[in-house]
Amino acid sequence: MGSSTQESEWGKRNSMLEDKDFELLDESPNAGEIIEDADISKDDFVLTQVDSSVHEQKFQTKPTTFLKDSLKRFGKNKSSVVAAYILGALLLMSFIVPLVDTSNTKVAHPYETYLAPKLFKAGTGFWDGTIKYSNIAVDLSEMPDAKTEEEKQLHWWPSSKKFPQRSAISKKVFTEEKYSNDISNLGTFGKEGYVHFGYYESEASDYVAFSSKAIPSLVLDNDLYLTSFDTYDANKIREKEGKDSFNAPDNYVVGESAFYFLYSELNTDNVLEDKEIKLVDYATVHNIGSAVERLKEEKLNISDIIKNETGGQTEFQNASFSVRLNVEHEHQKNTCALIRSITFESASTSENIRNIFNDMSFTDATKAMTKSINDGYEYWSSTGVRRIYLSKAHFCSFVYDTYEAAFGVRQIEGEFVSDLLTYADKGWISFKDQFGLDTVWKDDSGYFIDRTNYSFKILDPVNCPLAKEITADDFYGDDVFGTLGVKFSVHYYKYLGYTKAPIYLMGTDKSGRDMFKYVFEGLRTSLLLGVLTFAVCFTFGLIWGSICGYFGGAVDLLMERFTDILSGIPWIVVMTLIILHFGSNFWTFALALCLTGWIGTAARTRTQFYRFRGREYVLASRTLGASDARLIAKHILPNALGTIITGAVLMIPSVIFSEATISYLGLGLKNTSSLGVVLSDNQAELLTNPYLLIFPAVIIALIMISFNLFGNGLRDAINPSLKGED
Amino acid sequence: MLKYSLKRILLAFLTAFIILTLTFFLVKSLPPVKVFSPQENVRYAFYMDQFKLGYVTYFTKTAAEVDAGFVPNVAPLDQMKIGDEWFYFYQRPIVEQYFSWLGNIVTKWDWGRSTAIEPNASAIRIIAQRLPASMSVNIVSVIVSVPLGIAFGILAGLKKNTWVDHTISTLVMVFISIPSFVVISFLIYLLAFKTGWLPTMWPTPDQSTRTKTLAFIIPVMSLSFGSICGYTRFVRAELCEVMSSEYLLLARTKGLTKNQAIVRHALRNAFVPILPSILAEFIGIFGGSMILESLYGIPGIGNLYIQALNQNNPDYNVLMVDMAIFTTVGLLAGIILDLSYGFIDPRIRMGEKK
Repeated sequence: MGSSTQESEWGKRNSMLEDKDFELLDESPNAGEIIEDADISKDDFVLTQVDSSVHEQKFQTKPTTFLKDSLKRFGKNKSSVVAAYILGALLLMSFIVPLVDTSNTKVAHPYETYLAPKLFKAGTGFWDGTIKYSNIAVDLSEMPDAKTEEEKQLHWWPSSKKFPQRSAISKKVFTEEKYSNDISNLGTFGKEGYVHFGYYESEASDYVAFSSKAIPSLVLDNDLYLTSFDTYDANKIREKEGKDSFNAPDNYVVGESAFYFLYSELNTDNVLEDKEIKLVDYATVHNIGSAVERLKEEKLNISDIIKNETGGQTEFQNASFSVRLNVEHEHQKNTCALIRSITFESASTSENIRNIFNDMSFTDATKAMTKSINDGYEYWSSTGVRRIYLSKAHFCSFVYDTYEAAFGVRQIEGEFVSDLLTYADKGWISFKDQFGLDTVWKDDSGYFIDRTNYSFKILDPVNCPLAKEITADDFYGDDVFGTLGVKFSVHYYKYLGYTKAPIYLMGTDKSGRDMFKYVFEGLRTSLLLGVLTFAVCFTFGLIWGSICGYFGGAVDLLMERFTDILSGIPWIVVMTLIILHFGSNFWTFALALCLTGWIGTAARTRTQFYRFRGREYVLASRTLGASDARLIAKHILPNALGTIITGAVLMIPSVIFSEATISYLGLGLKNTSSLGVVLSDNQAELLTNPYLLIFPAVIIALIMISFNLFGNGLRDAINPSLKGED
Repeated sequence: MLKYSLKRILLAFLTAFIILTLTFFLVKSLPPVKVFSPQENVRYAFYMDQFKLGYVTYFTKTAAEVDAGFVPNVAPLDQMKIGDEWFYFYQRPIVEQYFSWLGNIVTKWDWGRSTAIEPNASAIRIIAQRLPASMSVNIVSVIVSVPLGIAFGILAGLKKNTWVDHTISTLVMVFISIPSFVVISFLIYLLAFKTGWLPTMWPTPDQSTRTKTLAFIIPVMSLSFGSICGYTRFVRAELCEVMSSEYLLLARTKGLTKNQAIVRHALRNAFVPILPSILAEFIGIFGGSMILESLYGIPGIGNLYIQALNQNNPDYNVLMVDMAIFTTVGLLAGIILDLSYGFIDPRIRMGEKK
């Protein structure tokens, strides 16, 4: 291909020279006439060009080389040019980003995990560091009973465990889902939410589910009875607890449903006080062997017991309620009566009792629903079938600003007086009173405060993390013994040591790594691997193919059989074997990829050599005594190189692809990030944080597409005859 | 033709033999793994079988001798006390194991025993159990992808340089470039988890027929995207070449309508190189996609490969047979491709010397 273009090139030049000659002749007066018997003297000849000779003259048109011609052709292919630019940009970024971005991807940042990608200001609704959550459980156990929409907006929040910063929550929308029929199929609970355990109002019997979770208000009713419970095999407990011998302690608690009553109430000092009622009396009366049978029949009136224990009190606000049975066993050491199922039976279906069993979280409900009976306890039972009746779920949809949650104003509580003193040392704040004495100080025995003269000033509001002033009341604990605690709110980004709240373009992952840097670091490794493999394979393939193609015959046959065998091994098998033998790091990866990667180049080179080695110009050169090496390097290779390179360029994306695939399967690089490692690291996050996969996936798709387009464009430009083939 | 075919087949056999031998030596030279079972009698049965098959040797010592302080000179592969005797098991040299292996394959069709996945089960049987799942998915995807790919390719080829062609070509380029695991992940995310239309995992045998049928959609989609793109590109390129050929011009000049020329001349000639690759594709159904199978939980041989590579208790014997399957499928597809070229167009002899 190359040669023919070159030939036409020469043809063009020659014809141009000839045109020039004819032009000169045409200018003479009697052009074309044959003059016979002409008397031509020396003077009749005139030199047309005295000052320069023809062969030194510049061509009128610009000469073009093969490469320039190709480049022109490449430029006409718009998609390839765009691909080349994208490729260039990605290449540049893969080297610049890891250098410019200062965040450290080698260590974990526990306070900055799962920050959403942010490019725009929060509130723009797109790429702004917020995540939209829908149908998240409203934690009614902590919330007051809200009736109106305003009250809900004000008082209802999603679980503070999962969404600790309430200031980051905006645009709350509440929905309520009612399950009018009973639910026995767990699949119905596809979403999170709070469920109300209701009354079973069918004709069969009246059962009420029992919940050990907090109950907003409990009004004891005389009609509340404990009617039955079963024994539990102590061997099972032993297995579960992993103890060698089991001696039932006198306050044995299994899970939440032990027989135990606990309530909290406000005491005179306005502090919630836990009170517990032990039902020891009841249990000790009966020894186990006979008690069980008797208990089953006997109706235990809980409200009576509670009334006795609390001195006649029948109404509790915000009481938490659970049941435990204390057992003193005398006869049978290995049997312990624990409650496996508790059924409350009620004579009336009063509203009061219904309310008791409100508001169990979906998670607890599911746990209860799925709990095996052999676990030793279950939450409720109605003839062995677990059901939730008349349940209701409250959901909340909202927007959560992850940056506000991570870096916004946050309250800190605990023994952080030393932090404050450090700030004072740095000159950000001051505890000095008018005499210049510290009102908060540290000595050998601890931290102390002078409450009477207490004074506080923020001196450097730019650097100081504190969001508002600290009053003397914020300090708590023992002033005398120096165990001082403090409560204060800070701008958390300043508290973490940032001067400005960071913005992560691609978010952060589970260990708080900046994905932007991590992805481009990965891309850099992948590209390096690709380029290295390309270089090695290309060189080796070229040499191998040249020898094969140039010499032919027995050498070729032998070498071809070798490549046949090598190319018969699937690449995944080669990779696996290499990784198993040498472990997985950058260099073994390169080795594994190089082992079979060169075959394509070798085959292409061989074909090209077969094509060119019989050409006349090669023969001519050989006749003149050129050596084999010279023929290969100077005559055949330059003509064949274009085709070979364009074929080989596509090796880079295929290496990136192979590396990503093998990493995704879990055999990937260790201690180095590559695109495949980034993707496989975040594989499990697809459902919860899809952005962690979307960005690396887009980058890998982009680099593959642009490499392929670029490679195809290059091939079309260098070998126009192959255009359209892929 | 017969001579040529025989030569090709023989050569492929030889290649397969060499590759399998190489694989055997490479796998066996890895640090040996004990059979994965906590029970001594299971291990004992396994090693005794291995002894019968010619892979291990052993010697015994009585309990009294061991109590007296006997310690073997070379650390054994495994040791256990059965009854009153201590058994010390050693691997035989790899070359000896190799010949035992060959012998077992020829006489008993025993390709080695599983050490972890299903201890002491024949590896080839495990493969045979896993093959149907892989094959069913592959067959459906071939049935879906070949006609679609050809249809799109013809469409793009006939409407060359129109918006139809540009759209198809762009999509083909995009789908060929996006790695399959990305496509699979997002398919599972969108179609199974987000919308809930399809099962999120490959169903167990006891699930309903409807679920089982629906479960085919994601694997088939993810497998066929790539091959639809491949066929589209291939068919388009071939058709474009034929469409600009002189004999098609002649056909038109001679009075054939465009459709007649396309059906009688263009398509027929374009299909000469396409048909063999379709045949080769059918051989590919015996393979399995590792990524798809492990992501979607399909109990096929691709998934088996990943399982056998488990870092805690690898199963090298099963792995080796799995590798052998992949190798054989690849070689077989190559032969079919080359030979069918010759059958379809007797002028072509792929791989022959010019």
